[in-house]
Amino acid sequence: MTNTNTTARPASDHSSPNPLPVDTVSTLSEEIHDNISRVIVGHDEAISHVVTAILGRGHVLLDDVPGVGKTMLARSIATSVDCEFSRVQFTPDLLPTDVTGVNVFNQKTREFEFRPGPVFANIVLGDEINRAPPKTQSSLLEAMEEGQVTVDGTTRQLPNPFTVIATQNAVEPNRTYDLPFAEVDRFMKKLHLGYPDPDEESEMLGRTVGQHPIDSLEAVTDLETIVRARETVANATVEAPVREYATRLAGYTREHAHIGISPRGTISLLQAAQAHAVSQGRGYVVPDDVKHVAPVVMSHRIKTTDRERDGRSVVEDALESVSVE
Amino acid sequence: MSSRSKRGVTSVDLDGTVGPRAFRIVALGGIGILTASYVRVLHQDVTSVVGGTETLFAVVAAMLVAATVLAYTIRPRTAILAATVAAAVGFSYYLNAAGVELGVAISAWDALLSDAITLATGLPILRMVEAGTWALGFAPGPVFLSWYLAMRERYVWSVVPGGFALLFLVLTGNAGITVTMLGTLGAITAVAFGELAHRDGSIAQADILAIIFALMIALSLSVTVIPGGDNGGPVFIDSDGPQTLEGTIDSSPGHSGIGGQVDLSPEVRFTAESERASYWRTGVYDRFTGDEWVRTGETSEYDGSLESPPGDYETVEQEIDLETEIGTMPMAAHPLSVEGSGIGVAEVTDHGQIHPVETLLERDEYTVESAVLDPEPNELRTAGRNYPDEIQASEYRQTPEDTSSEFEDETADIVEHADNPYEKAVAIESHLRSSKDYSLDVEKPSGNVAEDFLLEMDEGYCVYFATAMTQMLRSEDVPARYVTGYAEGQQVDDDEWVVRGLDAHAWVEVYFPGHGWVEFEPTPPGDRQDAHDDVLQDARDEGQSGIDTEQSEDIPLEEEEEEDPDGDGPDENGTEDPDENGSEDGTESEERNESNGNESGPDPDDSGGTDTESEDEESILPSISFEDAVIGLSLVVGLVAGIRRSGVGSHVSRTAHLYWHGSQDTPAADAERAYRRLEILLERTYRPRRENESVREYLATLSETDELDPRIDEVGKTYELAKYSGDISRERTDEAIELVDELARERLPVIGNSTDA
Repeated sequence: MTNTNTTARPASDHSSPNPLPVDTVSTLSEEIHDNISRVIVGHDEAISHVVTAILGRGHVLLDDVPGVGKTMLARSIATSVDCEFSRVQFTPDLLPTDVTGVNVFNQKTREFEFRPGPVFANIVLGDEINRAPPKTQSSLLEAMEEGQVTVDGTTRQLPNPFTVIATQNAVEPNRTYDLPFAEVDRFMKKLHLGYPDPDEESEMLGRTVGQHPIDSLEAVTDLETIVRARETVANATVEAPVREYATRLAGYTREHAHIGISPRGTISLLQAAQAHAVSQGRGYVVPDDVKHVAPVVMSHRIKTTDRERDGRSVVEDALESVSVE
Repeated sequence: MSSRSKRGVTSVDLDGTVGPRAFRIVALGGIGILTASYVRVLHQDVTSVVGGTETLFAVVAAMLVAATVLAYTIRPRTAILAATVAAAVGFSYYLNAAGVELGVAISAWDALLSDAITLATGLPILRMVEAGTWALGFAPGPVFLSWYLAMRERYVWSVVPGGFALLFLVLTGNAGITVTMLGTLGAITAVAFGELAHRDGSIAQADILAIIFALMIALSLSVTVIPGGDNGGPVFIDSDGPQTLEGTIDSSPGHSGIGGQVDLSPEVRFTAESERASYWRTGVYDRFTGDEWVRTGETSEYDGSLESPPGDYETVEQEIDLETEIGTMPMAAHPLSVEGSGIGVAEVTDHGQIHPVETLLERDEYTVESAVLDPEPNELRTAGRNYPDEIQASEYRQTPEDTSSEFEDETADIVEHADNPYEKAVAIESHLRSSKDYSLDVEKPSGNVAEDFLLEMDEGYCVYFATAMTQMLRSEDVPARYVTGYAEGQQVDDDEWVVRGLDAHAWVEVYFPGHGWVEFEPTPPGDRQDAHDDVLQDARDEGQSGIDTEQSEDIPLEEEEEEDPDGDGPDENGTEDPDENGSEDGTESEERNESNGNESGPDPDDSGGTDTESEDEESILPSISFEDAVIGLSLVVGLVAGIRRSGVGSHVSRTAHLYWHGSQDTPAADAERAYRRLEILLERTYRPRRENESVREYLATLSETDELDPRIDEVGKTYELAKYSGDISRERTDEAIELVDELARERLPVIGNSTDA
């Protein structure tokens, strides 16, 4: 499982970039975090999860009621990194080509030429992804998993790094299309922001008076640093006891739920744990890293038949009962 | 959980399930033990005595094979039917052999039923005439049915037939404590492990069973369950000290034991008025088991007269006055009629001996008319071997199956020059008298008493002499029987004898066609008398009461009469009449009852000596070797299981582990071991780490409640490095070990100085 990192790595022309020292990555993630915190009040946990998801080469799904700052979080992280950022507002009439791009006929050259869609960016914000029909949603599938897009038989590489931050609304269920289970599985983490507590909300109100802080937000890092930091994370040590622990957790969910987490889920779990370990300044993963990321990585990959138990409670039970070594 | 973890090993194993196959084998073993227990009782108590061991084992083996084969081919109902038929056939065979017509048996079913009840209320099987056949009829049914059901995995039901068989043998008093316990344990094992096999039990559950078994054994040792059973008490309680000879010989109604060292009671038992001296017979025994004599056959109510001997005889009338309570009726052989108080409830054995139904009381008296045989030796020499059918068919020529050929060869040598049964008897008698010494202080041999006495022992008392002679005659095919009673006693008048407890005696009767049973005396008479006189003299010197009547007390022992009774006459030319040296004052005979007899209770030794069973006489060693081994083994198993269960073992090893790091390993393993030691330490101060807790979480929650020593964090960090980064230096590990040593010493200063790892 340690070398799964290479399989998940998109085939890119950046041939194994030079990894940064662990301490540098740790500082970097702190800087990004601090930068985001200038816009987002509170939600420290969610912010660090998003940051580590990017470092761990994962995609993030933000799921909550409207107006709690999902889009703002995605925008601020994109701004913090000096990189290509695009945003797709998913609507019921959005077509797959609106996401991936389309071949158009150039009258001058009398040739079809490819006009790239918004997916061709380093950070893609898919806003209200569940408002689009499944066909459009699935256009993101290939992009997220393979780092490439195929239009009219031609496969095109997406830039590296490529991260999708999608948001979805938990309200108005009759006007939305639930994300296919297979697609949900491709998100490394699914996060809930929740409402800010009264102090935070009042603090937030104070900041938004006048100019919105997002407008003055500046990038704290560049693309190359992110790529190298990602390499550091991918190289973080995962020893057998931790791998076995992750396997036991996965096994538990498979035994105690209708559908437990997939092997892809286990891979994501360890990737997220690696990112967390590095962000803590450690070059190796300890079970606590796994425990820390397990709820956000595993919960959305579990299907239960019991209405009383959702994926999250299964994960909590797993953490309660699976033994650590 | 990796197997390297010292801490995890026990808990992992305990809950691991064992294949049902293993449990099944144990359950089948349990049924096997149960079956073996009652087959062993049948073998040891019946067939090894009366013969038929090979047949019995063949039948059992055949039933086991049949049950195994049929287990999967016939249905339970058919099997039960088959077993019932097998049992019915077996018992009809037995009835046939015992001379009971099947038609009669069916019409007399109530008699048969009462027989069965008699058996089940404590009559040992050996007292049945056709005990061997009975055993062969008894065994097949339960063996087949229980094994059949066990093979079909119906363990609970399979215990029923076996358990019933064992219970029956317990009730007859044949199955001793050890065998019963083994059988019961077998049954419980079968049920318990059969259940585990059905339900995929774990080792932990098997542990609990082991503990329960050990408890059961320990508890059952302190309880005696079967009142009529053979074993009067717990196995370990050794009734030390010798018994009285009298008690050994004559206490039990149906069998007569052979003891080790015995005492003699000088108390007066009865006085007899008779025209001639005689041995006073109280019991006749025909079946020899190797260590005791058993009387087979039935008793019938005394109806006023008894069968007389086939040949010539003189009649002698005796009046017996009892001086103490006594459970037998001493009288000269062979009684023809009896009159007196309490005689209405007397019963007669198949062997022509009269027994009281209830214990006779002091001052009871009765008069017996006996037929005394006094044949000339020549008559006996020519008596021939033309034995009547009832003698042929009886047990009078029985020897235990395991009688060795050495015994037979030795006997054959002794009677080499004898041409007829009479000369053989005389030869054996004189051989025993001359070659063995008389002693009351002998250790009971563990094997066949007759054999050991003839071949190995140098001395013994009457029981040994009589047993050996009877068995020797039987090995020469001469019908003989072992009789018990009292020697003639001290003559106090022309026609009066005082008989004491120390006169208790055993001798031999040999059958001669045309004459009947003739008495022989293999015990050296002079030696016996001397030994007994010493006892009486000592008792007189000590002033013990109840040892003399008024008539007897003045008579010095040295002047006592010659020992041989008339009944013993034929081989000694039949000439001696007792000397006339008794005192004259026969008129005072009434007063003596008041003067002495009243005050004296029965000798306490009598009651102590009533248990004639072998356990009590055996030296401690042999009884320890088998029973203790079994019990000890099960206790050890239980103890081990208990230790595992309670975790004492792991506790001890962990404590040791705490102080001593042990030999060095790889840095990673050492760092991990150092942390485990720390964890044990923390566990004592705070709480154990939960299974689902990582080291980091554990230390973090501990530091929430209490300021933790920074060294603890350091060790935790080293552990994490070793375990999860795969990159640990020797120095760092050594440092961690050092820290844990320090911590252990500080917190548990008692023996901490010895560690310098």
